[in-house]
Amino acid sequence: MGLLDDTYTLFLRELLIFKKNIGMNLGRATVFPLLFVLLLGSFGSAPRNVPIAVVNYASGPAALNFINILQSGSSVNIVSQTTQQQAMSLLSSSSVAAVVVIPSGFSTGLGSQSTVHVYLDNSQPQSAEVASAQVNAAAVQSNAPAISAAPVSVITNYAYGASSNYISFVIGGILVMVASFGAVFSAGFTVISDRQLGNLKAFLTTPINSFSVLLSKILYGTFQSVFSAYVGLIIGLLYGATIAAGLVGFIELIWIIFLVGLGFGSLAIALAARMKDLQTYALIGQTLVLPLSFLGGAFVPTTLLPKFLLPVAAVDPLTYAVNAVRDIMIKGSLPLTTLISTSIILLAFSSIMVGLAYVFFKDTSKQI
Amino acid sequence: MAEEYAVNIDNVVKKFGDFAAVNGVSLKIKKGEIFGLLGPNGAGKSTTISMLLGLLQPTSGKIIINGIDMQKDSSTVRSHVGVVTQETVVEPELTAEQNLMIFGRLYHIPKAEMQKSIEFALKLSDLVQFRKAYAGTFSGGMKRRLEVSKSLMHTPDIILLDEPTTGLDVQNRTQIWNLLREINKKQGVTILMTTQYLEEADQLCDRIGIIDHGKLIALGTPDELRKSIGLSSVIEVTVEKEDLQKVAAIFKKVGLEPTVLNNKVTAPGGSNATKKIEMLLNSMSTSRINARNVSMHEPTIDDVFLKLTGSEVRDSSGEYQGSARGMIGRGR
Repeated sequence: MGLLDDTYTLFLRELLIFKKNIGMNLGRATVFPLLFVLLLGSFGSAPRNVPIAVVNYASGPAALNFINILQSGSSVNIVSQTTQQQAMSLLSSSSVAAVVVIPSGFSTGLGSQSTVHVYLDNSQPQSAEVASAQVNAAAVQSNAPAISAAPVSVITNYAYGASSNYISFVIGGILVMVASFGAVFSAGFTVISDRQLGNLKAFLTTPINSFSVLLSKILYGTFQSVFSAYVGLIIGLLYGATIAAGLVGFIELIWIIFLVGLGFGSLAIALAARMKDLQTYALIGQTLVLPLSFLGGAFVPTTLLPKFLLPVAAVDPLTYAVNAVRDIMIKGSLPLTTLISTSIILLAFSSIMVGLAYVFFKDTSKQI
Repeated sequence: MAEEYAVNIDNVVKKFGDFAAVNGVSLKIKKGEIFGLLGPNGAGKSTTISMLLGLLQPTSGKIIINGIDMQKDSSTVRSHVGVVTQETVVEPELTAEQNLMIFGRLYHIPKAEMQKSIEFALKLSDLVQFRKAYAGTFSGGMKRRLEVSKSLMHTPDIILLDEPTTGLDVQNRTQIWNLLREINKKQGVTILMTTQYLEEADQLCDRIGIIDHGKLIALGTPDELRKSIGLSSVIEVTVEKEDLQKVAAIFKKVGLEPTVLNNKVTAPGGSNATKKIEMLLNSMSTSRINARNVSMHEPTIDDVFLKLTGSEVRDSSGEYQGSARGMIGRGR
């Protein structure tokens, strides 16, 4: 009859209520991802200053000319690399959206040597599309007789399986977003409504450890996160998204979502621990979670964020969650080191929030 | 040594900043008694109850329940005490049975006894046939009965009720009274309740304590209290507001000590009350004051309360406990 038992009892209570309202819960979990898929899935935005790496094995004016044309306008930012290997490692870390390799025979224009190879990071579909278009446009312009001795052709390669698509990209972000929203808008709401209705007071007059109230609410938030993300995933899969990493990827995905739920469930309790008003809570919750989702790269890759926001993205736990989910859904495998580092970051975030929640929750006289 | 008192409140003070909500209250409640705590709003009633529940810590003084110091071992105390708070806190989205099961578990009733405890509570609240119905579909009286029986599941020695019948109609109120009398008589449960219905305290309680400005100002059986203020009968005149002061003056002229409240002037009638009424009516008719109502009655706890605190028990303004759940679907 300890802390865990009391926590389980209170969690069971939430689940029974959840079960009673299953229709409403399903409806709410469906509406959000469905709306986003319909809205975002139909169009992509055209980002600017997309970073691309250029490896120039050729010497001579034709290659430089090609690069100059490539650089014109503001759609791409060129990062020069000396070897293809270096460039490809930038690509796999998503630091650049594309790698353009200019072969050594480019300037002399001997046969197939004039072919430019482009490698696209299709885990950032909007950026990859822009890069690809710019390279092809440059190739067409270069074909003017004055510039190049031989016709320039472009061969495009995708970094990750050809099956990946924009919908997978969008769904990955949506899953993390609904997970964080699911936790914040269930765990926090139940704390405040239980306070308003006097349930919290009733719990605290029983011989339970008051910490179990807090734990059960965090657990419920986590449960809602996983539930919302699961429903969102089904919608995404029906709409054409894929999980490139397969069954293992699915398990890893649920684990990441679980950690997001734990973290944001704890954040919700810390936020709601002293609050009495649902409207205020909803307002603060929204103002907190929505920007975190956007800055975390849920809809636009973080590489495209303005420079001054990059430090914010770096401390946003959702950045890491979104990256891990994209690795799983698009790149096809989550490196063990990424899995571990993401787990540590999200668990550390949860611990800080549980600590905060505990401090705010400790004084029972503030709970009634 | 067997503890003689169920609740022993010893010189308890609770301060919020400089304000003493409870200012040195001492009160001993005997085992097996039904005790009523009365007082106007802000008198310190709720603060006292919250301290008894262990939700607030006294600034000084001691609270001993069942021989156990509340500040030292509130968890053990809670397992011997049943609580009915002011808000009706049955969960509307759970069935009667589920409500009881959850609280049974929170009260740490052993698994083997759980079913028995649930049956006991269902019978006590007369809700056996509604066991599978959601509490949200219940009437106010049914919810209250479920709530009261829920707080008795773990067979506590003491039950604390904070305004248990507020908002209930006469029928449901009587039903709750019967329920309380039954558990008091059959199981010897000590009952400590607050109420704003003085009639309820009068009918139900063995003893009554009146608290005002954080202090206990009267204590005794309802009879003792009535006698203590020396009232044999009470004269009450209801008039229009603009005539109140004139009537009060007439009261004084005929040798009565008037108390003015709302649109009533009341005073203890004394030994020749009938004669005084006659004089009052004569004076009023010469002054052309029309009384809406003139009455003389045996003193009630209302009169005691009025005399001691100078105010009627007001309806509590009530914190917002609106239908937040209904509006936002509670996020579940």
